[in-house]
Amino acid sequence: MSTTVTSDESSASSASLSAAAADGSGALPVLAVDLVTAPSLAGSLAPLARGLEEAGVGALTLSDGGLHPVHVAAHLAPLTRALGLLPRTDAIYVEPFHLATQLMSLDHVSHGRAGWLLQAETDPSAADAVGRDVLGLEATAREAADVLGAVRTIWGTWAPDAVVRDTDRGVYLDASRLQYADVEAETFSVRGPAITPRSPQGLPPVLVADTDREAAGERTATELSDGRVLDLDVSGGARAEEIAERIASATAPPAPPSAPAQQVRLVRLVGLDLEADPLGTVRQLAEDLRTRGLISPAPAPGETLRDLLGLPETPFDLDPSRRADRARLTREESA
Amino acid sequence: MTTAPAPSAARAEAPLSPEAAELVTGPAEHPLHPEHTPTGQLSFGVFFQGVNSSTVWRLPESGDQVAWESFESLVRTAERGVFSAFFLGEGLRLREHRGVPFELDVAGRPDAQTLLAALAATTEHIGLVATQNTTYNDPVDLARRLQTLDLLSGGRAGWNIVTTDNAWTGENFRRGGYLDHADRYLHAEAFVQVAEQYWRGEQISHDGAHYSVRTQGDLPRSAQGRPVLFQAGASPAGQDFAARTADVIFSPHGTLAAAAEFRRSIVERTVAAGRDASTVKILPGAEIILAPTVAEAEEKVRWVRDLQIGPEQAIALLEQYWGRDLSDFDPDGPLPDVPPEVVESGVTRGSGFQFAKAEELTRQWREEAAEKGQSILEFARVKSGARRGAFTGSYDQVADRLVEFARLGAIDGLNITPWLIPSGLDDIVDHLIPRLQERGVYPTEYAGTTLRENLGLPPL
Repeated sequence: MSTTVTSDESSASSASLSAAAADGSGALPVLAVDLVTAPSLAGSLAPLARGLEEAGVGALTLSDGGLHPVHVAAHLAPLTRALGLLPRTDAIYVEPFHLATQLMSLDHVSHGRAGWLLQAETDPSAADAVGRDVLGLEATAREAADVLGAVRTIWGTWAPDAVVRDTDRGVYLDASRLQYADVEAETFSVRGPAITPRSPQGLPPVLVADTDREAAGERTATELSDGRVLDLDVSGGARAEEIAERIASATAPPAPPSAPAQQVRLVRLVGLDLEADPLGTVRQLAEDLRTRGLISPAPAPGETLRDLLGLPETPFDLDPSRRADRARLTREESA
Repeated sequence: MTTAPAPSAARAEAPLSPEAAELVTGPAEHPLHPEHTPTGQLSFGVFFQGVNSSTVWRLPESGDQVAWESFESLVRTAERGVFSAFFLGEGLRLREHRGVPFELDVAGRPDAQTLLAALAATTEHIGLVATQNTTYNDPVDLARRLQTLDLLSGGRAGWNIVTTDNAWTGENFRRGGYLDHADRYLHAEAFVQVAEQYWRGEQISHDGAHYSVRTQGDLPRSAQGRPVLFQAGASPAGQDFAARTADVIFSPHGTLAAAAEFRRSIVERTVAAGRDASTVKILPGAEIILAPTVAEAEEKVRWVRDLQIGPEQAIALLEQYWGRDLSDFDPDGPLPDVPPEVVESGVTRGSGFQFAKAEELTRQWREEAAEKGQSILEFARVKSGARRGAFTGSYDQVADRLVEFARLGAIDGLNITPWLIPSGLDDIVDHLIPRLQERGVYPTEYAGTTLRENLGLPPL
């Protein structure tokens, strides 16, 4: 198989191979396949997901085709071993508290392989289904940023060591290792803490696909998210040359250096034809792109999605003003 | 083949105990109510609460409450025991005690449906039931998620409908506390109607007191038609709601007399709602503590109660009702001789007891404990055991007792809360279920592929 990447792009990609830094800048993107959650797919999901994993894919994104993408991602968790699982799901016409709980629970059942492909719904029918007024574009973008902030805050309400199981004191949970969310956004508020203990990744990665950038808004896409998703439409066939060029040019280091949120973390094959040997197509493409040094190695069991994407670990930060044991401290001080 | 072989003639004709015989008001085919015919069969569910004092966390074998492995192991045991359902509790705000997250019991659980969607991939037969709130969900979103679970599991999904209305829980949600306590069942009923429209794939145009919804149900029907509907059905209003709406009712009734009375009440209400009495199953919430002999079982019950309720929890339990700091009282001494500081609202929020009338209740409790010579600790252990609907005794004793519940048709099964995670079902599956199968009241294999079929519910 011949390679036709230009010398500039070639050096760019080899530079990115060697330049992966501790903060993950320069890490190679992960190859993902998008699956549409059509009800007709329910029976074939398991072999398809396992086959794609075996073919060298690093992650699956689940786009809404009827079945709820978070449920489908959770369903695939015990059926796969190392794949990242990223439902593409709405940030706008939902309850931020439920969304945060669902995604951190996906992280629990997948042992740290969960991510969120943030989508900002603009279809008025989504607003009608929950009885809310449809938001304009600017309001949608503000809401997406607010919900993302709230979800991360809720994820960060339990310390990793909040469950202490101290049999001597009879204490299961240490409230001093919890904090309220105390989110006050423009259109909603959330008190917290989470009803679910901290998930394996703490903060599962939140990415914005290229096709969702406009609706999600510039701030969410380029400042707040954990990275960019390069969408490659392969509905007309997966041509390795063309795909390699697209990846190389999207991952070439710009000058000046871009924000971490603008780095391509995921390369997503959209519209893969499931009738025409999808596993063979993907296997060949993954091999080709790895040979060219354009995508990361296949994930190993035990790696979290953050590891895989080259994102740093997320420490627990206790905000003294939100401490969950404040009422007790106040009582003790006044006593 | 759907159930165990027919019971031997000797067993079928064995006389009822005096306690059971006294409850019978009709012939063998209608022992409790003319409109109700017992199936003589039981089916079990696992009620994984994930909070509260029922789960012992102090033992070395107490497993992780959130880890996937705990759930997988528990459900595997349940399927080995031909359990019909795996049932997850949910509370949408972390329990608090005196303004601080409650520290003494297990706390924190995964989202019920997300976990069940994963378990649908590793199980074949068991029903997957999620407790979900009608007040703090959007009906179409919830209906769609439940339908997804039903489709992913091949028709094994269930929904336990709960109707929390308190504003304290509402602080986690967009609407806040918007619903009056008196309106909670009206609201829930409208909510369930929208969900049922969605499941039937209908065009939905609902304008209610609290929301307007326009959408089109667009998912195919599942193998069982729609998720099975569970409801606690405890209060009279709750019983009416359940009789109109639910397929399964699960509030606890530990004594045969209480269960028989509850069956009669539900049959009356079901028939009054225009439904056949056989379309509503009763699987009371229950705790089962077993040992080979009666004496060993008595000892084990004391040991489990000690582990469930330590001195700190006993004081905290009383503080819920007294509404004040009782940490100066000796857990081994008598109940506090001070009046409560609240009348309506307990200090442990999210425990379900905030509407107890504290003043009246604390006086009753003081008298009761004094009469029985119980300390705070002893009293708290007895109280918390009683409200769980406990079945305790030797393997044979509990099996014989359950046979009477089945013969009278007082219950259709039990929704069992294991006191230990994940091994708390082992002795039930290894020792009780074989005895129930021998006695012909428990299935030896799954009746069908859907939750509806395995609960013995008629097709929709």
